[in-house]
Amino acid sequence: MEDFNDVESDNEFNPAPAEDSGDEKQTQSRARQSSSRARSRDVDVDADDDDGEDDAKVALSPGKVSGAGGDAEGDDDVNGEADDDANGEVEGENGEDDEGEGEDLGAGDDDDEDDEDEDEEEDEADAVGRPRKRQKRGRRNQFLDVEAEVDDEEDEEEEDEDIPDEVHPDDLLDRHAANEHDDRAHRELDRDRELVSQVEVEKLAAAMKEKYGRNRAAQSDAAVIPQRLLLPTVEDPTIWAVHCKPGKEKEVVMSIMKRIMDRGKTREPLQITTCFERGEATGFFYVEARRQADVMEAVDGIQNAWPRKAGGEVGTMLISISEMPDLLKTRKTKILEVGTYVRIRKPQLYHMDLGQVDYVESNGVDITVKVVPRLDYGANEDLNAALDANGKRKRGFAAQNKGPRPPPKLFNSDEAKKRDPRNLNQVRMVDKKHWTYKGKDYINGFLYMDMKVNQVYTDSVEPRLEEVTMFAAGQEDGTENLDLHALSQSLKASTSSSDYLPGDRVEIYQGEQSGLAGRAVKVHGDIVTIKVSSEGPLKGKEVEAPKKGLRKAFNEGDHVKVIGGKYMDEVGMVTRVKDDRITLVTDANTESITVFSKDLREAADSGGTTGTMKWDLYDLIMLDAATAAIITQLDRESCRILDQNGNSRTILNSHISGRIDPRHGAIAQDANGNEMRTGDLVNESGGEGRTGKLLHIHRQTLFILDRGQTANGGIWVTRTQNVMSVAAKGASAINTGRDLSKMNPAMQINGGAPQPMMPPPRIFGRDKMIGKTVSVRKGVYKGLLGIVKDTTETEARVELHTKNKLITVNRDLLIVKDPATGATLDINGRFGGGRGRGSTPSGGQTRYGGATPGARVPDWGGARTPMGASGSRTPAWGMSGSRTPAAAAGGRTPAPAWGRSGGDGGKTPAWGQGDGSRTVNPYTDGSRTSYGGSGGAANVSVPLFFSAESLYLTTPPRTKAWGSSSRTPFHPSAGVGSRTPAYQPNQSAYNAPTPGAGPYSAPTPGGAPTPAGAHTPGAHGAYSAPTPYDAPTPGYGGAPTPAAGGMGMDQPTPGARYGGAYGTPAAAPTPGAYPETPGGFADDDGPRWE
Amino acid sequence: MFFLHEIERIVNLHPSYFGPKMEDEINKSLTDALEGKNMGSYFVLCILQNWEISEGRCVPGTGTAEYTVHLKAVVWKPFRGEIVDGRVKNVIENGFFVEIGPLSCFVNKNMIPSDMVYDGNATPPQWTDNADQVIEKGTQVRLKIKGIRGEIGDMFSIGTIKEDYLGLLS
Repeated sequence: MEDFNDVESDNEFNPAPAEDSGDEKQTQSRARQSSSRARSRDVDVDADDDDGEDDAKVALSPGKVSGAGGDAEGDDDVNGEADDDANGEVEGENGEDDEGEGEDLGAGDDDDEDDEDEDEEEDEADAVGRPRKRQKRGRRNQFLDVEAEVDDEEDEEEEDEDIPDEVHPDDLLDRHAANEHDDRAHRELDRDRELVSQVEVEKLAAAMKEKYGRNRAAQSDAAVIPQRLLLPTVEDPTIWAVHCKPGKEKEVVMSIMKRIMDRGKTREPLQITTCFERGEATGFFYVEARRQADVMEAVDGIQNAWPRKAGGEVGTMLISISEMPDLLKTRKTKILEVGTYVRIRKPQLYHMDLGQVDYVESNGVDITVKVVPRLDYGANEDLNAALDANGKRKRGFAAQNKGPRPPPKLFNSDEAKKRDPRNLNQVRMVDKKHWTYKGKDYINGFLYMDMKVNQVYTDSVEPRLEEVTMFAAGQEDGTENLDLHALSQSLKASTSSSDYLPGDRVEIYQGEQSGLAGRAVKVHGDIVTIKVSSEGPLKGKEVEAPKKGLRKAFNEGDHVKVIGGKYMDEVGMVTRVKDDRITLVTDANTESITVFSKDLREAADSGGTTGTMKWDLYDLIMLDAATAAIITQLDRESCRILDQNGNSRTILNSHISGRIDPRHGAIAQDANGNEMRTGDLVNESGGEGRTGKLLHIHRQTLFILDRGQTANGGIWVTRTQNVMSVAAKGASAINTGRDLSKMNPAMQINGGAPQPMMPPPRIFGRDKMIGKTVSVRKGVYKGLLGIVKDTTETEARVELHTKNKLITVNRDLLIVKDPATGATLDINGRFGGGRGRGSTPSGGQTRYGGATPGARVPDWGGARTPMGASGSRTPAWGMSGSRTPAAAAGGRTPAPAWGRSGGDGGKTPAWGQGDGSRTVNPYTDGSRTSYGGSGGAANVSVPLFFSAESLYLTTPPRTKAWGSSSRTPFHPSAGVGSRTPAYQPNQSAYNAPTPGAGPYSAPTPGGAPTPAGAHTPGAHGAYSAPTPYDAPTPGYGGAPTPAAGGMGMDQPTPGARYGGAYGTPAAAPTPGAYPETPGGFADDDGPRWE
Repeated sequence: MFFLHEIERIVNLHPSYFGPKMEDEINKSLTDALEGKNMGSYFVLCILQNWEISEGRCVPGTGTAEYTVHLKAVVWKPFRGEIVDGRVKNVIENGFFVEIGPLSCFVNKNMIPSDMVYDGNATPPQWTDNADQVIEKGTQVRLKIKGIRGEIGDMFSIGTIKEDYLGLLS
């Protein structure tokens, strides 16, 4: 009854404050309304622009206006009389006047509008009985549509109730003033009232709670009540701690509970309010009561409870108020499940060892843990240690600690029997696996310990796979039987899961905001701030949400990385999203795996396993000396491998003995005998016809990757002879140097293959050597003169002058001498030149060698171009023709000229000039001359040859000549510039034969009588033409040919370009012109062609 | 999606190419280097010839000449959500691979309508709804790209046929 009264009185008592605050809110809300009203008025004012002040005034002082309305109108009617009361109108009039002026000034539309406004105003004013205020309100209400509609229904209800008493006088006034269309007042009133009532209810509830919240009966919804209100005060019953037998706390509490129930219905119920115990405080339980006597009554006689402890100790202690809350503080204890891994804390021997929970007592405190024993079977036991009082040696780790801690190893009964049989007992005969050793149970080799929960660590266990495999190894059937579930449980718990990072895409799936998605922008403790991206009113706003109701959100196709759990470090693309379970296809082997979204994170790139690994995916590793394997899947602790025999298995990373570094440039032969290198594409020649990229070559074994396969991560293994190489990609990669045959465009004109060197021309007809006087320049016959009687390709039979004897000498060792003067002759390229280069006295020739091809080639490109290419050559040709005949100097000269681009031009003209000089030289051998010419040509490159050919063909005479001159031919490619040198002034005297150009070129201008010295210029020309330089130079100067001075390339030859070039020679005007020369020509062409 | 894309490349020309056909050489080397290649996020399909070659500049020390070339090329950049046609390259229990031109795409079984099942006993293995739809190696399919992963010189995507108008092309 009292209580009830209390409530009532409270009710009566409370309203005041309740209303206070209610009023407060009311006023606030009113203020808000009025401000909104003001705002709407502002809008009106703005809209009306010009009426400005007038309207505003009216609107702001409705009462006044309504009162003064008549007057104002009256005044208006009177039209003109300034009246203070009708201030506005007057101003309005003024305004009109002003505007009138404005119009005069030509202000446009604005004024019209203003006029309209004015008119309206006037109309309004004219409208009898319609105070302006109404008008304004009507307008304003348009802006309040929403509110109006919302409130309409309530309006009606309210109206039905019709409680005029509660209406505020102001409202009443409003109401009267309003006509039927204006229900604003109604709504306002309704709103106010509703607000008041709402606030009242809340207030009431709060008051009730405050008052009765402490009542235990009301504690059911404790969550709502602030914690501090629940703290105990002096008013509350006190708590007493009572001694009991350690470990029996629960029993004691249960007994007391039983006693309460027993006596609950009697006349003397126990006067205690609670009784409880705390798991970790052993030897105590707690009773809450008003008086200590009540406690004693409840506890007295309960077994194991010692309220009066013997020996003067106090059995019952009062707990101070400040400590009381701590007693009831709950600590979330981890619920241990069978199979979870823990770390041992207590027996020092096993400190931090991994254990597996084998059994959990229903009290949740006692557990049985399975560990891998660390036993030494008495090896380190000190048999001489003093026995303690009980005749036993001291136990405990401290005593045993003398030796090192034995390594963890499964219990071995045989060893125990052998070394320490005294302490060994078999528990059951039937089950041989169960032993008792030194009072501890060993089953299947594991030690089973009964422990308290607080003797193990359950947090951050993080079992390593090695440890876990110890547990797996000893399964009964001997097979490895990893309890992956338990493992993943422990592992999962160990990783700092559900960790959000700014930038993560998250969604809220619990609570009133559920469905909201966005990106985390800030993470602070358990609160994540999210920038909402999902559609809705909150879009773009930042919302805070507790981690509890959050999960990471992913879309199909997202590239993600697993950051926790069993599949840690896998990377893949999401294929399905269902709640927080996400299925993804791994990049490595296109397997589908399903993981929790909390274990995922968006992967910026193709990750793969982290850099902490010693090995990489697809590394070739060494299992043992004879076995290689490739890593097909890499996890943190283990990896999956495929060995060279095609067997796949999982091994620990620590079992890998080393990596086989890929041998650079390893080559294997495929089924067809073609070479394969790593990186090549290969096809299986038989079997399943698989294909793939060659990853590794290990002896005869190939490791091949085919991403289309899923087995073994796409890797397959085969022998080298079972595959065929598809595209030899690796081959080119090996040749690191530049491929000059490709680099050089000239080489590619004929399809890329460099022109093979032309063989030295064969010699037809009677050898010119026969009958010549020669001297031997080497050997036992050195210096002796003789006459050549017969020759073969390489040798000559010489009849010596001194002895009447025929000797056989290598032709190269012969020097042709003029029988009369003794001067050395160069009878033909071959003879004197090519072979005898060295021998030739003429320094010129020697140089020649220098000039040789080698030098030229490089230049070549450049040279050509500037030269005007063929243009220059052409003339050369012509020249050659001429030269040829000229045998002497002329012929050759040009050649050098060639070298220098300008030269050509020079020569050509020479031609025109009648070069008679050159031509003149009736060298039978013309051949040599051509040489020079050819030299130029040679430089030119292939096309030139063509031209030569054509030329050749077209001019039969030459050909023939050519034939005769056989030796001349030089090797185009060889770069013949050589002949030039021939021309030394001296030579002329001597008639030194110019040595053939390079090796090939035997042909060099044969005897080349220098005479011409003049023409020689050529020599010099040759690119760089080293040699010639000296010698020829002289000639050069004088020579008409060179004169060219760079006349352009084309001069002679019309067709400057390649193509043209050909033509030119073909046209062979030159040849024609110089009938004599043919020989020379022939030479040129001849050689090449052959 | 196909684009006409402007690409700028720097070409180094070996001195042996200096000469009248230099442009051809640049042209050729660019074509070799670009056409048909994966550029990370797109494929160059064809290079249009009307490009712009800057003046050459000799690189000190090497003798090569450096040209900056602007060229236009037709490229294909696959997008997430793009509908494409392709040819089935390989069928496995977990789904199937599709070649979309140069792009390889995997359709996981989660992305195949549930009425289609894998039949590994058929030759060749196939995904079928046991009616008129059979997806096997060589089949033309239409699919939607769901995700793309780019690597250097390689690109991989996953796709779905689990939507209207996707799947077998008849």
